[in-house]
Amino acid sequence: MIKITNLEKYYKTEEVQTIALNKLSFEVKEGEFAAIMGPSGCGKSTLLNILGLLDDPDGGSYLFNGIEVAGYNERKRAQLRKHNIGFVFQSFNLIDELSVFENVELPLIYTGVKPAERKERVHAVLEKMQIMHRRKHFPQQLSGGQQQRVAVARAVVNNPKLILADEPTGNLDSSNGNEVMDLLTELNEAGTTIIMVTHSEHDAKFSHRIIRMLDGQKVTENVLV
Amino acid sequence: MAFLINSAGLSTGLAGVLLIFLWVRDEQNVDQFHQNDARLFEVITHYQEPNGNIGTGNFTSGLLAETLPNDMPEIELMVASRVLDDGMNVSIGRNSLKARVQYASEDYFKMFSYDLLQGITDQVLKNKNSIVLSDQMAIKLFGTTQDVVGKFLELGQDKKYQVSGVFKETQPNSSIQFDLVLPFEAYKENNNLATNWEANTVQSYIVLKEGTDINNFNKKIADYAYNKTTEASPFTIALRKYSDAYLYGKYENGKQVGGRIEYVRLFSLIALFILIIASINFMNLSTANASRRLREIGVKKTFGAKRGDLIFQFLGESVCMALLSLLGALVLVWITMPQFNEVTGKQLEFDFNFPLIVTILAITLLTGIIAGSYPALYLSAFKPIKVLKGKINNSFGEIWIRKGLVVFQFALSILLIVGVVVVYKQIEFVQNKNLGYDRENVLYVDIEGKIEENLETFLEQARNIPGIINAGSIGDHLVGGDLNGWIIDEWEGKDKTDRTSFQMRAVSTEMIETLGIKMKSGRTFSNDFSTDNSKIIFNEAAIEYMGLEDPIGKTISIQGTQLEILGVSKNFHFASLHEKVNPLFFVLQPSWTDKVMVKIETANVNKTIKNFEELYRSFNSGFPFEYHFLDEAYEAQYVAEQRVATLSKYFGGLAILISCLGLFGLAAFTAERRKKEIGIRKVLGQSASQVTMMLSGQFAQLVLISILIALPIAFLLADDWLSDFAYRIPLKVWYFLGAGLIALLIAMLTVVSQSIRAALANPVNSLRTE
Repeated sequence: MIKITNLEKYYKTEEVQTIALNKLSFEVKEGEFAAIMGPSGCGKSTLLNILGLLDDPDGGSYLFNGIEVAGYNERKRAQLRKHNIGFVFQSFNLIDELSVFENVELPLIYTGVKPAERKERVHAVLEKMQIMHRRKHFPQQLSGGQQQRVAVARAVVNNPKLILADEPTGNLDSSNGNEVMDLLTELNEAGTTIIMVTHSEHDAKFSHRIIRMLDGQKVTENVLV
Repeated sequence: MAFLINSAGLSTGLAGVLLIFLWVRDEQNVDQFHQNDARLFEVITHYQEPNGNIGTGNFTSGLLAETLPNDMPEIELMVASRVLDDGMNVSIGRNSLKARVQYASEDYFKMFSYDLLQGITDQVLKNKNSIVLSDQMAIKLFGTTQDVVGKFLELGQDKKYQVSGVFKETQPNSSIQFDLVLPFEAYKENNNLATNWEANTVQSYIVLKEGTDINNFNKKIADYAYNKTTEASPFTIALRKYSDAYLYGKYENGKQVGGRIEYVRLFSLIALFILIIASINFMNLSTANASRRLREIGVKKTFGAKRGDLIFQFLGESVCMALLSLLGALVLVWITMPQFNEVTGKQLEFDFNFPLIVTILAITLLTGIIAGSYPALYLSAFKPIKVLKGKINNSFGEIWIRKGLVVFQFALSILLIVGVVVVYKQIEFVQNKNLGYDRENVLYVDIEGKIEENLETFLEQARNIPGIINAGSIGDHLVGGDLNGWIIDEWEGKDKTDRTSFQMRAVSTEMIETLGIKMKSGRTFSNDFSTDNSKIIFNEAAIEYMGLEDPIGKTISIQGTQLEILGVSKNFHFASLHEKVNPLFFVLQPSWTDKVMVKIETANVNKTIKNFEELYRSFNSGFPFEYHFLDEAYEAQYVAEQRVATLSKYFGGLAILISCLGLFGLAAFTAERRKKEIGIRKVLGQSASQVTMMLSGQFAQLVLISILIALPIAFLLADDWLSDFAYRIPLKVWYFLGAGLIALLIAMLTVVSQSIRAALANPVNSLRTE
């Protein structure tokens, strides 16, 4: 499903050029659950942004479902992104001014789903995430675990083929963290491909494969299953 | 960036306020320089108008000032005066020039504080042949102000006067301006109406003794003048404070209802609004910038800064900013002052006297404190831990206040835009209205010197000049005249108690034709009929008022003279369009006329005028040839409105500019505050154009609310202003929609760049967590 080859990304300031990704290559198959680990600044987040089509690489190839997307412009990337990729962030990134329902509804609005169908699908996914009773609340009225469940609900409401999770348990205590990991595992078992960046060895064990990075390069790959 | 917006906003705001402040102060000072100000009064008359209302004027009988002081012990001084509308020619030998003339009785210089440089206050007007002139006039005539007392000069034709005193030129803060003062006795000699209780032709001024109760005094004198007359319908007299006349000069149905003070209030209000808007922007931008200063506040608080210290810091900053803006404002005022003076017809200047400096500094400090108070209290109240983590949550209340302020600003701007449009349209209407006479290419000169004696010859020769279409002569101004009303004693079916006054215009033959006034029936005066001087021509309004059917040939009587109705003219607007066309009549009395009017062809205007001047000089060789155009006289009636139009245009523009600065700031702030949200939305698939629409749309919503609030108010205000005109434009929908659209457009132009910038930002940057 995802194949990157010699992927490169630089950050330039006036004087220094920092290499964030240095000829990175790997592949993630459809239905796989991959974890990416490494110390701060090793390029994990940069990689996730490129995989999520939020950012474009400076070099190399990125095949998404067999299509080269490395040269895509913002409009094309957005088009591909909103239909295929869901995001889960460490800091949830819910919109404070919108209710739980409205937050989850957003991706459906942008993909042009009709209001009646939107309502149905949002309710279904909230039900599934066991947060239906909170649908009229605002994010700040929820606990961290509940907020992340809303974020996961939002990530999956469009039935994406790929979910990118950036330290999804980083802001949660261990029991809430485990709940979120169980949710992701369930989704994966239902067929969704998941790539997760994490610092936590515990969380990484939920995945099928751990890719370890250092200084923008892949160091090792451990297959767990 | 924020600094620039802030200082630009405050500077222009303060500059506007300063200009208005200077103007208002100047208006309020008019006529208040007289030492007797507190006890100085003018006699006004309340009389019955044709429409049944009570009219108010400031003319009285010339005899009032002679008898009233004898009958009323409360009077310390009383003066009769008459200012000549058109001035007179004053000459020494060949040196001849036009002067503004006032006749006044003996105590004039005792009553009014016009400085006498030479001469003795209660002596200068004692002798019937004496004349007092201004220092500037003395310099023009004699080349000096020294030793002019005792010298002779000629006034009009062959009338010699001896200089008895010199006064300092009248200042701009005096509502009447004159170069010469002549004894009232000299006026009485040539105007027998001035010694008649039946005719109100002069102005009377009174200084009351200390401690006199004005209300009681007014009751005492109310019927005094009426009791001296034979009139059937009563009129009353009363005193009004002399210095109030300038600002509070407007009466409706006998009640004081405003005057120029309305404009003073209006512009004070505008100044206040501009100041508020500028302050609001300052607050908005400062609080909006809070997020950038959070770390500073957090660190300071962590290291022990108290809330008071921070409040002091922020207030200090805003006061400094205000003072800095004051410098900018002073520069702006300095640059725009000449233009402002031209528009307002004033001679304002920055005389840096102590009270002015104190006032300006006070305004500035107040602005700084008001503008800084909210950010100071708001920013200093943050909890250090939250602040250090970069988290502030704007409560809904705060957001609403911020939005409310934008709505308020824009509502105000829209009001001003509508105001400008309506005033302009009405002025345009006034200028283009068919007045019932033709005011284009009509020029006029005063009848003086030899022309007075040989009027018919002069007119005849004028008509023969190529390029001159017609010529005639008329008494009083054609336009703006609301002088002496004449009472018609008898007409068919007249109610004997009706004392309604009619306007009278004495004319020569061909005058009605020269003005292009159309006849409804009958004919105009003609030299072919020797009896036409015992005939009369009414306007339609007069015939309608008198209720005459088939009026031609019927007779009426004025002051014992029987006059036959020769014709009926169509109505024409001899007064300003503020008033309905009132009853008026023409009589053929060339000797009563004082202006020659000439209708000329549009081609070769200069040559025609030159030929006309030659003719004039062949009659009056030493006189200055001064001519005016009738359309200028017409437009002069609307000077006040035109000034208001121009001023509101400038201040409207200013308000919009400042509002836009504010909106720009708010847009920047909103984009900053919603950065994360925009990032999330973009990650979830919202396109850049959708983001732009969303942000801009939100501001459009605010402006739409402003429109909804402003338009009904604008309608009411515009309607109220227009109700002062008897002939007015209808209020059209597009004035309002147009104003709303302009505001919306300007607002969108202001915010769209900010929105686009926010929309194009890479969401990755805003979602990055530390």
